[in-house]
Amino acid sequence: MKLSRRTKAIAAIASAASIAIIATGCSSPSDSGGGDGKVELTVATFNDFGYSDELLQEYMDENPNVTIVHNRAATSNDARANYFQKLGKEGLADIEAVEVDWFTEAMEYSDLLAEVPEDAKGRWLDWKEAAATDGEGRLVGFGTDVGPQGICYRSDLFAAAGLPTDRTEVAALLEGDWDNFFNVADQYKAATGKPFIDSANSVLQGIVNQLETAYEEPDGTAVATENADIQDAYNTVVERAVPISAYAGQWSDDWFASMANGEFAAMLCPGWMHGVISGSAPEVAGWDVADVFPGGGGNWGGSYLTVPADGKNVDEALKLADWLTAPEQQVKAFVNAGTFPSQAAAYEDEGLTAFTNEYFNDAPTGEIGINRAEAVTVATFKGPKFFQFHDALQNAVTRVFDGVEDQQTSWNTWVTEVGAF
Amino acid sequence: MTALETPPISTTEASDSERMPQPRATRGRNRTTKIRGVRAGFWVYVGLGVVLVGALFPFYWSFLIGSGDSSTINDPNMSWIPGGNFLENAATVVNDPAVNFWRALGNSITSSLLIAASVVVTSTLAGWAFAKLRFPGSKPLLVFVVATMAVPMQLGVVPLYILFSDLGWTGNIGAIVIPAVTSAFGVFWMTQYLQQSVPDELIEAARVDGASMIRTFWTIGVVAARPAAAMLGLFTFVTAWNNFFWPFIVLDRSDPTLPVALSLLQSNHFVDYSIVLAGVLLSTLPLLLLFVFAGKQLVSGIMQGAVKG
Amino acid sequence: MTATATRPPAPPTSRPPRPPRVISFSQRLSRWDLKVSPYLYISPFFIMFAVVGLFPIAFTAVISFMDWDLVRNSGQFIGFDQYAWILGQPQFWTALRNTFSIFLFSAVPQLIAAIFIAAMLDRNIRAKTFWRMGVLVPFVMAPVAVALIFSNMFGDNHGLVNNILTDVGLPAIQWHKDAFWSHVAIATMVNFRWTGYNTLILLAAMQAIPRDYYEAATVDGAGAFRQFRSITLPSLKPTLIFVIITATIGGLQIFDEPRMFDQFGRGGAAQQWLTITLYLYDIGWGQWNFGRAAALAWILFLIILIIGLINLLVTRRLVRDEGRR
Repeated sequence: MKLSRRTKAIAAIASAASIAIIATGCSSPSDSGGGDGKVELTVATFNDFGYSDELLQEYMDENPNVTIVHNRAATSNDARANYFQKLGKEGLADIEAVEVDWFTEAMEYSDLLAEVPEDAKGRWLDWKEAAATDGEGRLVGFGTDVGPQGICYRSDLFAAAGLPTDRTEVAALLEGDWDNFFNVADQYKAATGKPFIDSANSVLQGIVNQLETAYEEPDGTAVATENADIQDAYNTVVERAVPISAYAGQWSDDWFASMANGEFAAMLCPGWMHGVISGSAPEVAGWDVADVFPGGGGNWGGSYLTVPADGKNVDEALKLADWLTAPEQQVKAFVNAGTFPSQAAAYEDEGLTAFTNEYFNDAPTGEIGINRAEAVTVATFKGPKFFQFHDALQNAVTRVFDGVEDQQTSWNTWVTEVGAF
Repeated sequence: MTALETPPISTTEASDSERMPQPRATRGRNRTTKIRGVRAGFWVYVGLGVVLVGALFPFYWSFLIGSGDSSTINDPNMSWIPGGNFLENAATVVNDPAVNFWRALGNSITSSLLIAASVVVTSTLAGWAFAKLRFPGSKPLLVFVVATMAVPMQLGVVPLYILFSDLGWTGNIGAIVIPAVTSAFGVFWMTQYLQQSVPDELIEAARVDGASMIRTFWTIGVVAARPAAAMLGLFTFVTAWNNFFWPFIVLDRSDPTLPVALSLLQSNHFVDYSIVLAGVLLSTLPLLLLFVFAGKQLVSGIMQGAVKG
Repeated sequence: MTATATRPPAPPTSRPPRPPRVISFSQRLSRWDLKVSPYLYISPFFIMFAVVGLFPIAFTAVISFMDWDLVRNSGQFIGFDQYAWILGQPQFWTALRNTFSIFLFSAVPQLIAAIFIAAMLDRNIRAKTFWRMGVLVPFVMAPVAVALIFSNMFGDNHGLVNNILTDVGLPAIQWHKDAFWSHVAIATMVNFRWTGYNTLILLAAMQAIPRDYYEAATVDGAGAFRQFRSITLPSLKPTLIFVIITATIGGLQIFDEPRMFDQFGRGGAAQQWLTITLYLYDIGWGQWNFGRAAALAWILFLIILIIGLINLLVTRRLVRDEGRR
């Protein structure tokens, strides 16, 4: 994939121009757009960003000239397909949400995206902002949420296995490295004969997201198969996580069904997973959240808003994206949908710090999320092929889990497979 | 492409229903001496009953799950009697903004109708020419048409996708109608039918009368083609309605057809099968209704299609 | 059911003879009409087909020799690399194996079942139309819908089939782990939807067999089974070949059912049920590599052609055999 110099230059000029417009436009918010000032902005998201109609109405009330149309795709995969299909051409919304898993893919085309206005910079957690800055120093993504991970656990099942149930005690129990985590898991399994966590691949996800370098170097060289950290991660997961997991991967029908019937006792748990659990097992009491994560902090998921540079209302779109990702709005989105803010200032917000989740035994999930986010020290470099490499490695783990291939064979299969990328 | 090599089976009237009534005398004869003609015995009905149950069971199963709630499917002592939540689940499907049920229904109806209509028109025209008009090149062209039946849709999707996305047509139902406006199968089918059902003398007579080509086509061809055209239309409609691969690729998720919308129901993170299967039934309902009214035609259409083999 | 089909085509002598007209002009016009009309009639089909059929096929060939960037809509010529890449992928060969395996699991039992159901329908039964419609009902359900229902019934831990199996004391089947069983499950979906359709085609062929054959066989003292084997089956041969050919062309393109078999739609962790078209979709719209997807599309087409040729040869053979007998 090569960047064409011409398009790059044009896009640079375009975005420079739009920033100039923003700079002048920002001083008088009511005066924007062309002619009569009526602007229709389309916002495309997926899953649930927490952008409720009321929230959007707020902006429309403040800016009577703007009408917002919100399109929601079901999953981020759908959104991804749509995004790359139309980027650089017609048909994208004025504001497009991008998930972190394929965000690096989008960064390949950062020249086709408008730059975040100067005064919004510095709003986000450092690593969140760094990941959205391209080689030329242009910040092209408005961070929305992050996925700081804690541990969700079933206190009733913990009790039955003779483990502590109080969330601070559980945190103390699991405090430490992955080895400690697996020891507790083994203990649980020895006591009950049942798997401790939901899936082996969530552990792989957790460990890989704590690595500085995963599959690719920032300069584009693929190091996947030589990276000792990756091989370690794979071996650890296969040797320690597979035996104590109920499933290989997540999101299967059986996996959803198992959430309600107590097949496992714990999950690695980013903020957005809370909604998944409570939605899949609404009648189950006993889920709780512990403020701890093996091996330090870990982030899983989170998204950005981007503004395609060739949109019709780039300047207005940048303003709306700016507003939507401001700390105040993100806290409201969090309350709506559990999307945990990526904005440092939001962590001071009462709406976040005082938030408790009734389903999780009134756990202070706001507070926990802040602690977990602050524990994240590493931003894994995710190259444009991260998604492919990681997906293939997850398949390797699954193969071992399913008993289709043994540890070494499955690794070798992966090495062959990624050699062709 | 090899279909032409297969010798067509001889009859034009597939049904034996007219011939069926046997002489009274054979009625009482021993069943084993004749394979047909005698009233079928008990075991035939049992066999057919089993087949029918197999054909209908998945529908019942969808209703069973679709009328329960999210826990029904995991209930080890699940009842075989439907629950009372079907309408509620159906409403959830219809109201899910990520699924866009009404848009999907509208798109499915519009696109399938357009495709069926245009396939019928182009196929009838071409079929008439191939069946009843003599012109240089007709043989090789017909062979060519038949040969294209072996070309998989997959061979066109990449450039069609590039083309449509370049034109900004992706997400538009035009993008699923346009590639489907013709059908090699349709042409072949109409050719076969018209060949058999219109005697050449009829056309000769019309031409002797001085009727123009278009007049002959209109007064003889179209009239004769009507039953076959109806079946082709019906068949094309059902096929277009159920098509998934291309619409799934080219349509926006916010503006899908029913099968694409169904796939979204599942890919939503919350897999609640009571809702998924209620959606399945809901999306099948229009075709089931069509089947109640036009199933007979579809049956005879398929059987006639077999005969032209 | 044949009410429409048996209707007389058109009243042949409904119009009175016309008076003769001026000869030369009308004749010239008529000759021109005679020459050009056929081409006019076939042109809508061929023009449309050229645009939406032929052009994409040629364009696919071009793209298959390129490294194509979708977003920037341009490509670089790289020769046969994409083909070499595809053929060098173990996944491709797995997909090929799966596609054939699923095809066999669906075609063979399906045809056997269809023949027997057709034989039952061919008896002199009451409520013919009812039964015929009954076997065809599954055909109106979209493959996606069928796949959703069956994927649910074939759940590894909580599916209906496994629940029944474990209830009667059998081990549960790992539908989503074991390649063989995943093929069986997917083939079941195909069979559910298509058995009735093929039954009707075979039924039509059975009804075309002249009744006298059976009469004569009965006189000769042949039993029902014997009659079925030596009259019905041989007469079905051409139809069976037709059905097999269409089933092959369709079966090798299978996408909907394996796509919906799990929530990822990518054929399983060890590519247990990855099919060629699923692989094509993943390369094209998952990895955005249109050059490779185009190359794979051509490979699929060539496979279908080869199978078609084999079919053709076999058909010729069989027809000749028929002749000799």
